Amino acid sequence: SRELFVLTYGALVAQLCKEYEKDEDVNACLDRMGYSIGTRLIDDFLARSAVKKCRSYSETADMIAQVAFKMYLGITPSVSCSSATGNEFSLILDKNPLVDFVEELPAERASLSYCNLLCGVIRGALEMVHLAAEVTFLQDRLKGDAVTEIGITFLRKPEDRKHRRN
Amino acid sequence: MAVCIAVIAKENYPLYIRSIPTENELKFHYTVHTSLDVVDEKISAMGKALVDQRELYLGLLYPTEDYKVYGYVTNSKVKFVMVVDSSNTALRDNEIRSMFRKLHNSYTDIMCNPFYNPGDRIHSRAFDTMVNSMMMQVC
Repeated sequence: SRELFVLTYGALVAQLCKEYEKDEDVNACLDRMGYSIGTRLIDDFLARSAVKKCRSYSETADMIAQVAFKMYLGITPSVSCSSATGNEFSLILDKNPLVDFVEELPAERASLSYCNLLCGVIRGALEMVHLAAEVTFLQDRLKGDAVTEIGITFLRKPEDRKHRRN
Repeated sequence: MAVCIAVIAKENYPLYIRSIPTENELKFHYTVHTSLDVVDEKISAMGKALVDQRELYLGLLYPTEDYKVYGYVTNSKVKFVMVVDSSNTALRDNEIRSMFRKLHNSYTDIMCNPFYNPGDRIHSRAFDTMVNSMMMQVC
């Protein structure tokens, strides 16, 4: 049923392109949809994977790459930490099943982030575990880059549980 | 090998047409157009028979002194027409069949592209590369 999922996602993006003139609007719409999926998916993920609480941002990023992506898309991106402060990470996808049938973006949609839904999903899921993050595409194979890279920037420290019990 | 390959839609207009000696393009377009009649004749002759792999491949449509024309029709009535040089007698039936199978596979890949609307002309680079590989094999 992987093909059905990929074809459905493709039809979704194509339909959004017909409805919105600007690429930014389509990207924003995909991000919102992803966010809504992510806030619901996180519970399913935590229930099925039964992972322990992550102690650091890098553990969280590893968890997303190795467990979540594997579970839902069947791929394992590699994680790299791209900042000294330790709150910026990037996931490098060498294989992206969502773009299996898409050869290249049409000429009039040069700045479309085809997989922007994934960014929204990650953002929504992290927010439900009280981790605010910004997720964007740093590189995209459909736009001519060598690999597809998703950047996750954690915005503030997770609230310390002890301080909340007054 | 093949000197001209064409993909014709259900409504009998070309979705993709490519020929190797680019000077005689019009002659090949005309040949492909006339071969469509033979294709239609073969399809109607099949009637309501079971459509299996053997009957997708129509075989030699008609030979002329310079070249032979082969046809293949998909279940969605999209036709592939291939014109081969007659001087190349080494070409066997299964080779033609495998070329049509490759064409059919590339065509289904194009159909799966969400940005392609069925009925549009085919502008895919992967399809072009595959067709080139079939046409250049003799050189």
